[in-house]
Amino acid sequence: MAVPAAATPPATGPLLPRRAGLGAWFFLTPMLGWLLLFVIVPAVMLVVVSFSERDSLGRIVYSFTFENYLRAFDWTWLRILGISIWYAFLTTAICLVLGYPVAYFIGRSNDRLRTLLLLLVMIPFWTSFLIRTYAWISILSSQGLLNAALLGLGLTTAPIGFMYTPFAVVLGLVYNFLPFMILPIYTSVEKLDNSLIEAAYDLGARPTRVFLQVVLPLTRPGIVAGVLLVFVPAIAMFAITTLMGGGTNPTIGEVIHNQFTRARNQPFGAALGVLLMVVFIFSLWIGTRQRRGYDE
Amino acid sequence: MKKRTKHLMAAVCAGALLLAGCGKHDETLKIFCWSEYIPQEVIDRFTEETGIPVAVENFASNEEMLAKLLAGGGDYDLIQPSEYAVQALMRENLLHRLDDKRIPNLKNIAPEFRSMPFDPGNRFSIPWLAGFVGIVYNAETVTRPIVGFADVFSPEHAGRIIVVDDPREIVTWALTTAGIPINDVSDENLATITPLLQDWLAKVKIYDSDSPKTALATGDADLGVVWSGEAALLFDENPKFQWVMPAEGVHMFVDNLAIPKTARHKDKAEEFMNFILRPDISKMISDEFPYYNPNAEARRLLSEEQLNNPASYPPGFDVTTAELFGDIGEQASKVDELITTIKLQ
Amino acid sequence: MTGAAALSPARRWWLPSGPAVQRAFFGGWTLLVFAFLYIPILLLVVYSFNDSRMNLHWAGFTTKWYGLLFENTSLLRAFHNSLIVAGASTVLAVLIGTSAAWLLHRYRFPAQRTIGLLIFIPLVIPEVLMGVSLLVLFVALGIPLGYTTLIIAHTTFCFPFVLIAVQARLQGLDPSIEEAALDLGATPLQAFRLVIIPYLMPAIIAGALMSFTLSFDEYIVTLFTSSAASQTLPLKVYGMVRVGLNPQLNALSTLFITATILLVITAQFFLRKKNS
Repeated sequence: MAVPAAATPPATGPLLPRRAGLGAWFFLTPMLGWLLLFVIVPAVMLVVVSFSERDSLGRIVYSFTFENYLRAFDWTWLRILGISIWYAFLTTAICLVLGYPVAYFIGRSNDRLRTLLLLLVMIPFWTSFLIRTYAWISILSSQGLLNAALLGLGLTTAPIGFMYTPFAVVLGLVYNFLPFMILPIYTSVEKLDNSLIEAAYDLGARPTRVFLQVVLPLTRPGIVAGVLLVFVPAIAMFAITTLMGGGTNPTIGEVIHNQFTRARNQPFGAALGVLLMVVFIFSLWIGTRQRRGYDE
Repeated sequence: MKKRTKHLMAAVCAGALLLAGCGKHDETLKIFCWSEYIPQEVIDRFTEETGIPVAVENFASNEEMLAKLLAGGGDYDLIQPSEYAVQALMRENLLHRLDDKRIPNLKNIAPEFRSMPFDPGNRFSIPWLAGFVGIVYNAETVTRPIVGFADVFSPEHAGRIIVVDDPREIVTWALTTAGIPINDVSDENLATITPLLQDWLAKVKIYDSDSPKTALATGDADLGVVWSGEAALLFDENPKFQWVMPAEGVHMFVDNLAIPKTARHKDKAEEFMNFILRPDISKMISDEFPYYNPNAEARRLLSEEQLNNPASYPPGFDVTTAELFGDIGEQASKVDELITTIKLQ
Repeated sequence: MTGAAALSPARRWWLPSGPAVQRAFFGGWTLLVFAFLYIPILLLVVYSFNDSRMNLHWAGFTTKWYGLLFENTSLLRAFHNSLIVAGASTVLAVLIGTSAAWLLHRYRFPAQRTIGLLIFIPLVIPEVLMGVSLLVLFVALGIPLGYTTLIIAHTTFCFPFVLIAVQARLQGLDPSIEEAALDLGATPLQAFRLVIIPYLMPAIIAGALMSFTLSFDEYIVTLFTSSAASQTLPLKVYGMVRVGLNPQLNALSTLFITATILLVITAQFFLRKKNS
């Protein structure tokens, strides 16, 4: 995926990126304004709310207190955050391993096959993710397809409880995020300069070495983009984790949602949200540093 | 890009924004209710007979409803709060007083439901359906006789239990077992029941408030503590699912319809209330949701089978003596935290 | 010159020292992953014809769920709402994303890197955070929840996709094309409209598709920013699914997939006709 930061100007010429004039600023303002109003301001408000209190019915009372943060640094919530990050990490790793070869294959295919495969990757998206997750429940449950197959083939004698386990949760997450890993890596692979690869072959390198030392590094921007697109949202995913995990392993996203609903404690939810924001900004910062490192 | 396509895009955009702007159909009755808790038939019938269009939005818990309502999100005409939410809303003066003259069908409600402690005389709410939280077990796989919570959470059932994912409910069962009044949710009492909860929840496999019957039907769980309506549905499917009212004590919940002060169509809302209090309409509701129907006239129209379902109408249960939830205010947060902490262990 | 450089692109796969094996490996892996992706989908389709409510076993072929689907007014209304919201969000996202990408590419702004980072935020932000913070904002500003808030929310996380797709395409743009247009007497705006935009079309379409898909399937953010009249499909589906699986949803999904495939085939057909 392309680097959204500083645009690298192509060959010299009178149309190098010029200093932005008033006209350019005028046209850029809508987007900047949008970002400001709907991304920055809400984030600031969230921080404000995290320092307030609430009444018995759950309405926000605008005062100043550290109580929510003191509570947030309790072991329970930190542990939940940790578990969520762990699940996200597992999901990202598995998506990377599963998705990279697919992205590579698609990127190196001829035009027609490539379009077809890309569409095939996208099509599952056009069904609701909830229904897709439910389909997995009917596959993995005690009377589901997987157990029926295993029993039928004689590989097991009693149904295995696949559902409502960490395995099911990670499977659900991987299933949901796989396309987000495949697509960015694919864009990187598509831009690979064939001559570099051929040069490596010509120099006598074996395929494995070419792959590890030439292709992988060249596709690094795509990998980093894919990792960011999967890891960060996965931390706070909740619907899938609840459905597949049976509610025994609450994730941070679920917990935050709970604060805004059944726990009637929006300020505390906001505090947890701010913690999550910190994790998220940190990941983003590391991610962009990785990509900048590649550019320079 | 062709000029025409660009103009088309602009038109679509403008059209969408316009639609967004006049998204308010000012004649529509807006109902805020539990997911799938009002049968579509009932809504369609209402629109057919009165010509009033209806828009429905769902929530998954009373707190979600309260949160959205209080945040000023949406001008709902009708909400579907449970008994303690009605109590909380009444206390904060957020409900419209009902006009008895516009709801003549109030007379159909069984007398015991006309004098509920949270709203005696039905001044602000009418009952929708009542129910209980009790024990359901699969008689084919559960060999131990089940009489109460202690039997459910015994060691041999570890990893085979499903419970509703409602912290307040779970805490209530522990309070009942410990002999503490269910609305006395103080920090000390919570501390008292913590060891019991830790022992219990370690054995739970699944938490599911939405469709606990699924796991029981697929055999992923053998027994559980669930809503009576869910158990009734299981019983209808297959009588191997037995229902037990816990010996330690059962509380009743009552879901209601009420009109928030921010409603725009109070009169239409009252018309809807009157509509669903009709015996034939109430029967339609009961047909779909086998909970305890508080409408005495409607109950006369139910079949033998429906009235004999032990989960819907527990034999020998005296509704007037049933304990109900009261609002616990800020303690809701502590309760949620307690259960979340225990779940992690 | 070794054989490699002399080969046409299509044949470069078949280099002597083993890429055939490589291709077989990667191809096989891809096949397995696709099987993983599609087994639940196939299951969904099969179950949409199953004459059983709980879908645990096969009980006979029926099309009644499709019939019921078309009578389910609230589901259809939710579908309609989703289309409106996704459509409007996509249009806005394309407008904002394309223009911003072009401006950032063509002109040098101060704090370019910060802007880039800002754009990346809605892309990656956990949905629950976005939902919650937007709710807080809308309530504080007194904006009633509904279509407007939904479209705003969806556009916010959609436009970065368009922007980045277009930016990627811009990286490969030869500046002399625009120069030539200007030399021929076009104004910068005309050059943009008649030369740049056609070049960017594939990226715009890709971004728009991604945008529409994401908006259509978005549940969490919608949960926080919608209201009764504007309830979208994912919310409705979640409500239905909560009380037990409903084969009408399977029917809906099957119809969706079929419609998409048909659309794609038609598009391919027309494109090929245009090219020949």
